[in-house]
Amino acid sequence: MNTKAYALYKKDFNSELRTRYAVNSLAMFIIVAISVILFSIGNEKISQSLTGGLFWVVIFFSAMSGLSRVFVSEEERGTSLALHLVAAPSTIFSGKLLFNVILVFCMNIIIAFLYSMLFEAFIIRNFSLFAVSFILGNIGLAVASTIIAAIISKAGAKGTLYPVLSFPILLPLILTSVQLTLLANQGAGFGDAKFELAIVFCYDVIILTGSYMLFDFVWKD
Amino acid sequence: MKNKYIFGAFIIVVFLGFMVYLFTQSNIKYESNFAKVMNENKIVRATGTWVKDKNYVIDRNNQTFTFYITDSNGNQMKVIYDGMMPNNFESAKSVVVTGQYKDGYFHASSILTKCPSKYEGQNTPDVKTSNL
Repeated sequence: MNTKAYALYKKDFNSELRTRYAVNSLAMFIIVAISVILFSIGNEKISQSLTGGLFWVVIFFSAMSGLSRVFVSEEERGTSLALHLVAAPSTIFSGKLLFNVILVFCMNIIIAFLYSMLFEAFIIRNFSLFAVSFILGNIGLAVASTIIAAIISKAGAKGTLYPVLSFPILLPLILTSVQLTLLANQGAGFGDAKFELAIVFCYDVIILTGSYMLFDFVWKD
Repeated sequence: MKNKYIFGAFIIVVFLGFMVYLFTQSNIKYESNFAKVMNENKIVRATGTWVKDKNYVIDRNNQTFTFYITDSNGNQMKVIYDGMMPNNFESAKSVVVTGQYKDGYFHASSILTKCPSKYEGQNTPDVKTSNL
């Protein structure tokens, strides 16, 4: 099962290398969003709490622009029926999830790097807290976006349905992650952030169990 | 196959309940001890009473309002609020300021005033029922 999931990930990775669809749309979105924010700020000093929020705004919308590709591309090329034949639903979900997790991590590391380079107010004072909350938040984002991509891939208006459906599901994660980023930037310790970290961890567990349970029904036509 | 869904639903329910509990815990806390407020540098709601003897400043150019509040232990703290003095501030019994302590003063983003109730009993002498 794991080798099949890995093979599926390899296949997605290779086709991504060839078309570069998701990577291009993510990179374009990140560059455009961050430069628009930079231009509109100008010389003004913005507060720390604002940069934490803006950081997750960029992450949310760039996730919306690129992460639905994993299932939408299968539908567009008409290869989803072949996938039905070769593997069990949970295997397919694992493979797609692995691809999205890696994509989300690459994307968010680049965004975090750009933010700490370009924004004076975005200073990570407690790096280990930031890293832990970042990893937990990214896993939640990747799992939620993968299952939502599977749900919307058969629908007509995919582009608009994706952010609309993702927003309520990702809202608790985004709100808590904004808080966590703020705490890490203020230099708070793990003790101050234990409730938020536990919330994000619970969210990850819930969304992971929920998506593995629901994917059987989503995938069955 | 059935077991998988029951097990999954169980995990989801347990963690959802835990998450809801945590959400209620992670809100901004009320703090009535100013010594703690000054040491912790966190965003809190500090409750205290306005020190009317000390001067207060209303800066119309910068839109700030500076005053002193004290807690029940007698710790005093300078508060700078971004905005004008609320209408019922002078008659307030106690005030709740939300913000963060840094650089020697409390930077408040909002003020809640607790006003004396309209319907409070007046201090009339107790009417004693006399047994005539």
